[in-house]
Amino acid sequence: MEIELQEIRDFIAEVPPFDLLPDDELNRLVRHLGIRYLRRGKSLPLQQDSLRLFYIIRSGTISLYTAEQTILGKLAEGDIFASFCASDDDKNTHAKVTEDSLVYSIPCTTLFELTENTPEIKAFIQHSPHRRLQAAIKTSQLKASQTATLMNTPLEMLLSGVVVDIDINSSIHEASLKMTDQGVSSLLVIDDGSLAGIITDRDIRARCVAQKLAIESSVKKIMTHAPVHVGSDTLAFDALMLMTKKNIHHLPVVDEGRVCGIISATDLMRHEGKNAVHISRLIHKAESVEVLAEISQTIPGLQQQLVSLGGSAEHVGKAITAVSNAITRRLIEMAEEKFGPPPVAYAWIAAGSQARFEQSSHSDQDNGLIISDEMKTEDAAWFTKLADFVCDGLDACGFIYCPGDAMAKNPQWRQTQSIWTGYFEKWINTPEPKALMLSSIFFDVRVVHGEKKLLRDIQKKILPLTKHNQLFLAHMTANSLQHRTPLGFFRDFVLVDNGEHKDTLDLKHNGVVPIIDLARIYALAEGLKTANTIARLKKAAGSPSLSRDGAANLLDAFEFISDLRMEHQADQIRKGDAADNFLSPKSLSRLQREHLKDAFKVVQTMQEFLSQRYHAGHI
Amino acid sequence: MFDFLFSAENRRRKLLESAAEGPVKQYLSVPLPDLRSDIHTVPLLALDFETSGLNPSSDCILSVGYVAVNGGEISLSTACHQLIKSSEALTEESVVIHKITDDASAAGESIEAVIGNLLQALAGKVMVAHNAKIETTFLAQACKKLYGMSPHFPAIDTMLIAKRWLERRNKEIGQGDLRLFNLRKQYGLPMYQAHNALSDAIATAELLQAQIAHMDSDRKLPLKQFIK
Repeated sequence: MEIELQEIRDFIAEVPPFDLLPDDELNRLVRHLGIRYLRRGKSLPLQQDSLRLFYIIRSGTISLYTAEQTILGKLAEGDIFASFCASDDDKNTHAKVTEDSLVYSIPCTTLFELTENTPEIKAFIQHSPHRRLQAAIKTSQLKASQTATLMNTPLEMLLSGVVVDIDINSSIHEASLKMTDQGVSSLLVIDDGSLAGIITDRDIRARCVAQKLAIESSVKKIMTHAPVHVGSDTLAFDALMLMTKKNIHHLPVVDEGRVCGIISATDLMRHEGKNAVHISRLIHKAESVEVLAEISQTIPGLQQQLVSLGGSAEHVGKAITAVSNAITRRLIEMAEEKFGPPPVAYAWIAAGSQARFEQSSHSDQDNGLIISDEMKTEDAAWFTKLADFVCDGLDACGFIYCPGDAMAKNPQWRQTQSIWTGYFEKWINTPEPKALMLSSIFFDVRVVHGEKKLLRDIQKKILPLTKHNQLFLAHMTANSLQHRTPLGFFRDFVLVDNGEHKDTLDLKHNGVVPIIDLARIYALAEGLKTANTIARLKKAAGSPSLSRDGAANLLDAFEFISDLRMEHQADQIRKGDAADNFLSPKSLSRLQREHLKDAFKVVQTMQEFLSQRYHAGHI
Repeated sequence: MFDFLFSAENRRRKLLESAAEGPVKQYLSVPLPDLRSDIHTVPLLALDFETSGLNPSSDCILSVGYVAVNGGEISLSTACHQLIKSSEALTEESVVIHKITDDASAAGESIEAVIGNLLQALAGKVMVAHNAKIETTFLAQACKKLYGMSPHFPAIDTMLIAKRWLERRNKEIGQGDLRLFNLRKQYGLPMYQAHNALSDAIATAELLQAQIAHMDSDRKLPLKQFIK
């Protein structure tokens, strides 16, 4: 290759997916490129093109449209335009040059021939951005579930590293002393460095004590000779199967004659036991706030385990929320035991992420109390005590006080049904900034404990007021546009530019929150009661507010960004750091970065749609 | 204008009759593109020479870079860059500009082989160059030395196109305004780091595409408008 084409080559080498291509194949590819200058206003494909072409944009911008003329996105320097090479309905996409552009082009067939040794390239190119995103989600979840579920974990990951053993010439008495001393229920018996047998508590009971065998006898007399054993690369699942089949509870782990340790059925169970159901059971039994707080300390571990088991963010959010619901209910039960039965009916409501079933181990608390209109002045004291007890308890359990004071502890959010109805009506009719902020918290609402009808009645009154309410929705939209995706005009990431989190992406406020906001607006526009973001998007799909395609794309984007955030946090917890939302794009692979950009682009497009629909730009 | 049209193609035919067998005759045997044809369809060859100075009779060509343009597309498969084996030692200043050292130059091809290849690539195409006078005069001089005669080479000069464009709008032309680098910037074309015959040829081809696109992309633009 001409060394002088190096400059073009170096540029292409940075453009995904060509970064996957080996050097010699990349050189060959460059040799087959054409260069074109496209004037603003031109449409692609060009009339004279007989072959389907693939483009790489060197400078300028090109906008993509669906067959229905809705804008899909903008491409700029370093982007690929692959629609004409896609195998699917993407062929209907067309493009218009929106800024004079210099592009590199190559016929799709030539491109695929040249890169046939790197099949990832074709796969990448044949998928449109939202399809690529879907594929990326699938692969990452598959990978996680293949490699990280407990049952697919090799035993070496579960071994403590300490081998408790005893020499074959020891007595039963010596063995029992060692077992007691080390607090184990079994011992490996070693003869000249290799595994000779195993003795367990049960052997001492059944083969020694029951048989009146002298405790000075050799361990040889009661041990199981040449026990069944496995290698350290055996999967936990297979080990468990083997134990079940042979009806044994202990399995020595031996690698090439060297004893590595022992694994018990209890070890395996204990690992599985750290799940949400188990924790919820413990919560029900807890007798004090202190015990609850102690149990809550396992929540970050639970989150981490769920992520490593291949759980999606949706799954993790539901599990963590299930735990916080259980804690909330237990605290309310404790309060009712302490302060006596409630004077009138009430509903403890969760707002924000708890209502949406999207909590993580470091979410703050958002809640309130809806009290029956039958409440008398003197009853207020009981509810004050209840609110203080529960909110303080939640804080002690790691669900810290809401910085915005949106809690039942605050008298404003501890009110009767009529007052709450009045709040909502005021927010809808007078959407000033504070009202919009509160709307974004309290329109995500769910009863955790108490009289569900109290909330249902309010919703029956207010949801018809939000449905198709242009003014309110326009304000909600304008407010939601404060949270922009961190994607620059040239498809580069816009990073946090100062402070502790310099050069990172805020996956919460610029990633997840914009989608949550969009889903809330669709739900209110359609008068839906649901609070969960995924459920809202699914229910609103195909309604006048949200097309099916738009919903599908947003669901994918939400899943991808949330999963990324969960993994990031699990990573931090594993390292012993506090979990946060700030991810450095440098920690991502190039392909992950592209998928993340695809996801942000989807959100950006949907925000633009909504903004145009409600003319939110004029507010 | 008509005289020129007539004379270019006429001169080719006349010279063909008297040309001896060899690269020049082969070049002359392919007709030139019709000067009335649309610029978008004319086969072009963007060309750049690095030379040891500006005088074709005393200075020599150090390297040659070219790339073909067909139907508005620059095809990198045709890109070619050749260094010429030099008989004389290079002067220090030209080395500084072009970074071609004696060693690299000694490793190059003979001038005969390089010009032979170039004539083959150029046959039936119109040359495109930035400040084309260098390329046309040095090429003619080389042909005379090698073959005893030189064809006439019609050329599109991107520098002249820019100059005329500015003059027609009564714009003052400042120093350096007509340099390839500065003109490219005006059209938003990327900056190339390398300074060699091939990258300059590609840069020139891109500039011409931008100039054409900005003239009137829907109308047919006859080739003759671009020559002289």
